[in-house]
Amino acid sequence: MTARCVTSSVVGSYPIVVPGSELMAQYFAGENVSWYPYITDAVGDMTEAGIEVVSDGQTRDPFIQLFTRRLGGCRVRARTEVVGPIVYRGGITVDDVQVVRRLVSPSTKIVGVLSGPFTLMKSCIDLFYHDERACCLGFAEALRQEAAALSWFVDEVSIDEPWFANELPAYAEEAIGVISEGLSCPMRLHVCGDVSRIVHRLVGMPVDVLSHEFKASPKLFDAYLQYPSEMGMCIGSVRSDDVRVESVEEVVAHLRRAEEVFGRRVVQVAPDCGQRMLPREVAFAKLRCLQQAKEVVYGG
Amino acid sequence: MFSFTKPQHAFELGSITFGGQPGEHPTVLFGGLFFKGVPDFKTASTHLAAMLKIGEETGMPVVPDLFIRKEEYIDPILSFLEQHLPEAHPFSVDIIEPSLKVKVLESLHDHDLLARTIYNSLHIGVTAPERETLKRCTPAMALIVAFNPKDASPDGRIEVLENGAHLLDRGLLAVASSLGIEKILVDTAALAPGENSGAALASLPVVKEEYGLPVGCAIHNVVEKSKWLSRYGSVKATVDVASNAGVALFGGDFALFGPIEHAPVVVPLMAWFDMVVSEYAEAYFGVCPSERHPRRVFYP
Repeated sequence: MTARCVTSSVVGSYPIVVPGSELMAQYFAGENVSWYPYITDAVGDMTEAGIEVVSDGQTRDPFIQLFTRRLGGCRVRARTEVVGPIVYRGGITVDDVQVVRRLVSPSTKIVGVLSGPFTLMKSCIDLFYHDERACCLGFAEALRQEAAALSWFVDEVSIDEPWFANELPAYAEEAIGVISEGLSCPMRLHVCGDVSRIVHRLVGMPVDVLSHEFKASPKLFDAYLQYPSEMGMCIGSVRSDDVRVESVEEVVAHLRRAEEVFGRRVVQVAPDCGQRMLPREVAFAKLRCLQQAKEVVYGG
Repeated sequence: MFSFTKPQHAFELGSITFGGQPGEHPTVLFGGLFFKGVPDFKTASTHLAAMLKIGEETGMPVVPDLFIRKEEYIDPILSFLEQHLPEAHPFSVDIIEPSLKVKVLESLHDHDLLARTIYNSLHIGVTAPERETLKRCTPAMALIVAFNPKDASPDGRIEVLENGAHLLDRGLLAVASSLGIEKILVDTAALAPGENSGAALASLPVVKEEYGLPVGCAIHNVVEKSKWLSRYGSVKATVDVASNAGVALFGGDFALFGPIEHAPVVVPLMAWFDMVVSEYAEAYFGVCPSERHPRRVFYP
């Protein structure tokens, strides 16, 4: 057993069904609609599975609308439209994270999850900037303020940038740097998909930890062997796109492979990606398996 | 005052027309028949007769909105309607409990009343059994409550109509269409003070311009929840009835004005506002009032 501080974590979303009938019942009763029961369910599953760094589960919305809905200059339609300068209008996920803080024990850590500026830009229809870099940096500046607000309540901020796997713009480091510069807590960058072509750029990102889908794309281990760095690594260890629940032995073997490649740079283990698309019982079983495997390799 | 560039639907039900350009047809007024405990049909018939009479006198279209809260009251309430409402006159049924909605629809079918029924309401809480029943027992018209628990702005209303705000498999308009409901009224969902309550009124022209559908709301519900008004004695009741004027002034087509007992005040009040709107709409936009418009009744 390698005795050091490696924590189990999540990437972001967790599959909680939010029944419209419950929300309408609150509306008809003249009550403020509360999302806290759904956050409570998500966090309850994560902590029951033993996960040590939990998120709010991103139960409110898909991860694009979650942010664009609350930003000035954005208009939510089938795809969000950017219709004016992107402006931060106050906490987006801060209230939810504070709920998480009240729900968990002092020893449980929290990761605040941000959808990345490039992914937000690429997912929106830009009717204002007509310039990808300017639009992306507009989102980055708004996210910088959200990250700063979150840093009072979380132990880590994670930026989710799936679009980087498709296209890594020349200004990617600049955009991520806008968010991470001066942040008072560690920052993780999660890029899912096959990132083997861009590892040489990722290892230079201004963040503390990189997170990838190593379980779905084990060839990433080989890609990273070519680019040694000091960057901390979060090892995706159970798949988020497959309902089959991995065995503990299988995940242990996967983590041992990560140890061979990264050694002491492994700082976290997590699902490959957000678990929103999985059935809840499957997502929970995968988290439990992840935690058990992590304990086998790194201790409890 | 408004006139819309989008062609406006005008739906006929019985002798009542819902929709059109502001100033064209008078605001349809829904008076609520609430039954606390065992229905008091004697009192209800008095109030219903009074509303129908003042509607006839002023040229204002009135519709009883029947609250059904228990299964055992379904048949007595429908029989009451058959006895006291003129043949072919439309009515709405306001039911919250999903299983009761199914039973009411089946009873409306059995009573051969669906051709006069305004279903109150379709919303994000629509259940699978409700959808199945609506396909078999399809009401002539349905009221869609465009409540979006994620976004209280007019954009939020559009989103829930368009794509269900990711709480449904599709938008509420598509849901209605898939059920064979052709005549749609959009209720812009009044919220409590402090929750962007003004957006219910602001959404009226937005939704009307976007879809050309008849729009309205129960803006008086905001007054009910404005507790501070109670400090001023009878003023609260005055504001309650007067609040409905906002619907006419914001280009709306119908108002759910609260208890039917308020009809003797609300109906002439709304006739006055409809005349003001009509005069301006005709002078500026060339919109002529319909044959039964209160302007023609009082200024033939």
